[in-house]
Amino acid sequence: MHSEPIEYEKPASLREFESIYAAKAEDAKILSGGTDLHVLIKEKLLAPRLLIDISDLPELRGISYDPVRGVTIMAGTKIAEIERSPLVKEHAPALAFAAANLGSNQVRWMATMAGNICHASPAAETPPVLLAHDCELLIARQGGERTLPISRFFLSYRKTALETGEYVKAFRLPPLPARAAVSYRFKGLRKAMEIDMLNIGAYLELGEDGTSVNEVRLAMGSVGPVTYRAVVTEQKLKGMRIGEEFFAAACDGVVQEATPIDDVRASAQYRNRVIGVLTRRALEECLHRIGERRG
Amino acid sequence: MKKLIKLEINGENFDVAISPAAYLIDVIRETVGLSGTKKGCGVGDCGACTVLIDGRPTLSCITLAVACAGKAITTIEGLSRGSELHPVQRAFIDKGAVQCGFCTPGMVLSSKALLDENPHPSQDEIKTALAGNLCRCTGYAKIIEAVEHAGRLLSGEGCDEQA
Ligand SMILES: Cc1cc2nc3c(=O)[nH]c(=O)nc-3n(C[C@H](O)[C@H](O)[C@H](O)COP(=O)(O)OP(=O)(O)OC[C@H]3O[C@@H](n4cnc5c(N)ncnc54)[C@H](O)[C@@H]3O)c2cc1C
Ligand code: FES
Ligand code: FES
Repeated sequence: MHSEPIEYEKPASLREFESIYAAKAEDAKILSGGTDLHVLIKEKLLAPRLLIDISDLPELRGISYDPVRGVTIMAGTKIAEIERSPLVKEHAPALAFAAANLGSNQVRWMATMAGNICHASPAAETPPVLLAHDCELLIARQGGERTLPISRFFLSYRKTALETGEYVKAFRLPPLPARAAVSYRFKGLRKAMEIDMLNIGAYLELGEDGTSVNEVRLAMGSVGPVTYRAVVTEQKLKGMRIGEEFFAAACDGVVQEATPIDDVRASAQYRNRVIGVLTRRALEECLHRIGERRG
Repeated sequence: MKKLIKLEINGENFDVAISPAAYLIDVIRETVGLSGTKKGCGVGDCGACTVLIDGRPTLSCITLAVACAGKAITTIEGLSRGSELHPVQRAFIDKGAVQCGFCTPGMVLSSKALLDENPHPSQDEIKTALAGNLCRCTGYAKIIEAVEHAGRLLSGEGCDEQA
């Protein structure tokens, strides 16, 4: 048997949640979809005294778009809703794709993206795409809010930048410039229901000439204790022209910056081989998407 | 310690006194006494415990029962009308998609949720929708056939088809 959490509370409004959490955050865990939390509790890796269920708070649901601010996804939105959202498919197709590949259909109807990033597993599905989009997190607590770029959210294995009493309220994906796109590529052992052994999110932005590279972001998962960006490579790629030299530099750079380990899912050597291939495919897909966007 | 809550299962209200730490699967099976829902892995991997909550396929082994107060829960017992089987159940039998039957309640409910959303799924869409329901007996081929057949039955096209 698992050890029992002593208490369960289900606040009816965001305001009520914030006041409960402000008072009891030390002993409490926020419960969203529970697809990570309950597994940890059942495996006795975690024994919270209090679960605060935010899964039905209406204020935390929904997806919206605004040409200036981009796509806003509230923290309690289900992965299945993100997967199906016409707004996400239009403005962040790589995120819709990553969502569609998270767990099983049941898991997707239960799980949230906030749970996915707060669990802070380096193999998680959505962080590489969110990093590629340079997503901004809206982090809140009773009486205050702050924004944080997702690139500063993951501190170490299962550790995030949230302070006691803070929670993730929303995700903002800024609008993409005209000649830019994001893509997501992953490699698992099976097609479905598999924790990725590697995944990568890529952002590519071209100059007005359509061949020079303005900006690249490359976010890698499962090659270190957190999902992180290959920032040295990103800098090197800036200003290059699209072509074989660019792709080769991107792949070499990513392999240099990745720090994979051997584990049950793959060897470090294999991961190094595959990460280069995924990087190339991700950047090619970005190029393709940019072409499509320009018709 | 125990909380008194009301659960709506298959349209019927049950007043149950449960620990806040009790999982829905155990409350459905032990407290309410509906044993159609199966418990396999207990940690979200196999899908045997799938029920519908407000129409959405949900893993009852990693869902707290207290969290379901005020929601509509459908278990496999809730599909048939009296002795008349639901078309998805009918199709599973007609197509020989049941062997030991342990995965079947979860499979049928996942299939129903799929067909409610998408009445004519492709084989790939069926595979995606059922990827979280493991079957150790059938090899899946007959299950996929059954879901396609159920789609036709539900849209009234399957009446003259050979079983
Ligand atoms: C069978 C199965 C398959 C899976 N497959 C995958 C997969 O392929 N890819 C993948 O990435 N993951 C996978 N997962 C893991 C899990 O489903 C995801 O990480 C999911 O997104 C977690 O979301 P949740 O809402 O269920 O989180 P919960 O379990 O509710 O919470 C997870 C953590 O986040 C915290 N939290 C939740 N919401 C907030 C918030 N708004 N603010 C602050 N903290 C918060 C919780 O306190 C907890 O610490 C799988 C899980 C299962 C059971
Ligand atoms: S028993 Fe719930 S998924 Fe296996
Ligand atoms: S029929 Fe035996 S597990 Fe599916």
